Amino acid sequence: MAAQPRKRIFLPLVLGLLVLIALALMSPGAQWLVWVAVGILAVSLLVTYSELQRHKNTVVPDVVPVPERVRVQPEGPSFQEVLRAIPDPVMIVSGIEPNDIAGRWIVFANTAAVEAFGIAKEGGLLVSSLRYPEVLEAVDEALFGNIERDTVFETSGAQDKFWRAWTSPLPVTEGGLRRLALLVIRDETDIRRIERMRADFLANASHELRTPLASLTGFIETLRGHAKDDLKARDKFLNIMASQADRMGRLIQDLLSLSRIEMNEHVPPSGEADISLCARDVMDSLSILAQEKGVSLSLSGPPPGQYFLTADRDQVLQVVQNLSDNALKYAPAGSTIDIEIFNDCTLEEAFGARDPAAAKLVLLRPDQRGAWYTVVRVTDRGPGIRREFLPRLAERFYRVEGQKSGDRLGTGLGLAIVKHIINRHRGALGVESVAKPSALADKDLLPYGGLDVAPTGPVETYTSFTACFPQPGRYKESPTVGFVNAR
Amino acid sequence: MNNHIVRTYGEELDQLSAEVMLMGGLAEAQVADAVEAVARRDVALAQSVIERDRKLDELERDVERKCIRLIALRQPMAADLRKTVAAMKIATSLERTGDLAKNIAKRSLVIAEAEPMSPLTRSIERMGKLVSSRLRDVLDAYKSGKLDMAMAVWSSDTEVDEHYNALFRELLTYMMGDPRTISACTHILFMAKNLERIGDHATNMAEHIHYEITGEDYVDDRPKMSTL
Repeated sequence: MAAQPRKRIFLPLVLGLLVLIALALMSPGAQWLVWVAVGILAVSLLVTYSELQRHKNTVVPDVVPVPERVRVQPEGPSFQEVLRAIPDPVMIVSGIEPNDIAGRWIVFANTAAVEAFGIAKEGGLLVSSLRYPEVLEAVDEALFGNIERDTVFETSGAQDKFWRAWTSPLPVTEGGLRRLALLVIRDETDIRRIERMRADFLANASHELRTPLASLTGFIETLRGHAKDDLKARDKFLNIMASQADRMGRLIQDLLSLSRIEMNEHVPPSGEADISLCARDVMDSLSILAQEKGVSLSLSGPPPGQYFLTADRDQVLQVVQNLSDNALKYAPAGSTIDIEIFNDCTLEEAFGARDPAAAKLVLLRPDQRGAWYTVVRVTDRGPGIRREFLPRLAERFYRVEGQKSGDRLGTGLGLAIVKHIINRHRGALGVESVAKPSALADKDLLPYGGLDVAPTGPVETYTSFTACFPQPGRYKESPTVGFVNAR
Repeated sequence: MNNHIVRTYGEELDQLSAEVMLMGGLAEAQVADAVEAVARRDVALAQSVIERDRKLDELERDVERKCIRLIALRQPMAADLRKTVAAMKIATSLERTGDLAKNIAKRSLVIAEAEPMSPLTRSIERMGKLVSSRLRDVLDAYKSGKLDMAMAVWSSDTEVDEHYNALFRELLTYMMGDPRTISACTHILFMAKNLERIGDHATNMAEHIHYEITGEDYVDDRPKMSTL
């Protein structure tokens, strides 16, 4: 393509010269021949000039055109572009020497790989993007041992992820310095999650349903046997049976909703939720129960309908509901439960110490911390939770030793559900509590004030849970008065 | 074509941090596997953790050798010097982390023979996960050279302490309740202590990263709870 125009440029000049020579041969010595020659020269120069200008404007491809065999179709994309479009991470790794452990380079990474493992666009060292020993080993085997295989690895974090990596050697030309290997990774989190969930669900359900079921069968036997004709006993037993069946129902419901939440935990929520509105709904639904117990509820925060979070509304409602339920269970008669909502908080503000004597623990922390959070804090004046029990609070079916939750027995899943919901929203959860000092004679065992500050006078016990949801941005432009730390 | 590779100074420095990353990946896996061996009573996994520790030791020696070579031959200045020194120090911390993980694996062999104490091993698992995430964060900070990320690890060490203290108390009640569990509980206590020290190593590494990036020592008082 590039060579042809150049020939054409000189065509008019050559033609002109030929005509001139022909004329000169036909009539030698003619005076007008000079004028004809000048004319032909001028015309051919003009044509050449314009041809050159045109040539300058046409783009000459400076790269070697891609041979057709590399393209999927003559008019289609190249294979690199096809690889880039694959949803699973695909990488090509090069290596030179087996003992040069840090010399593995990513020479190609598709879009999915760049996103999943934070690889720089131009590639980079393999070990700084993927430092999992199993994968590095498999890549080495593919590079220098010509072995094709797959390995499973796990990336931990707030949301655990499971991956499967396939490695296979790629052919290189004979005598080449570099060796190449293909690394294809697939996200198997969903599959592993379903597997684990099924096992967990079966184990939990069978274990936890056994107790109420045993008591039901016991009562049925009694009713069939010697309590057959005892009307009073029958009534009493039927009441107990009803409440046990009710508990079983609630347990199944909680287990199912926990499973559902866990299943979607790695999928960030979409949708809008207004925490203030959620909290007001919860207050309304709990008010009768609270009145029966003689507990008052107080809600403070911004009015509903102003601030919206990117969140699953039902799940946010459930967080507030479960935390308030929990508070209501342990709140003594005549006390107040505070539900507070704050906007524009940083995590430091949200978990900052309010009471230096209080035990506090962050039960859940996001992998990537956002700038601003909306905080819901539910505080009850119950007996408090001792420091040593805090880390296990969000464990399923965990019950703090010696704590009575009253007649309405919970399922032991409330806080686990809260934790998983907040994790799905990439938020944070913390607890802070002041409890009566333990009966354990710590003083003899722990001769310094590191663990428990000795109480001076009667302690005001409380438990407060702090749930943080990430905000899309800061709501107020002007600096806020700050987080209310005083209780 | 010859197989001789000429490395430039920059490549040598890159190689150094790449090797530290490799060590980091290995140390992370060691800690995670050791904790899993405890939780699942997996003797084979514990054995492999114990065996793999040698590789970490080897790597540390290698990094150290390379650093000394680099200092002697290239006489690095300013940022390059800090990078070299930080690599050496972080490698040492990672090697210590590996040793502690190996110790946990060794103790898990003893625990596996005793009666299962799932609430306690679950606490170890939880603490292990927390410490692993610290380690991961600090290595990510090293990789990307993000100072704020490293400092976030540095300032959140009290959480690990809190877990350690809780477990300590739990163990006390266990041992008081049933003296037959004392032997196993003591091993679990040491495991918790090891994990707590791995957390400390993570904060140390955060300090080294601070030094590498800014050239200044981090001398602020670390928020730390007193633990036994």
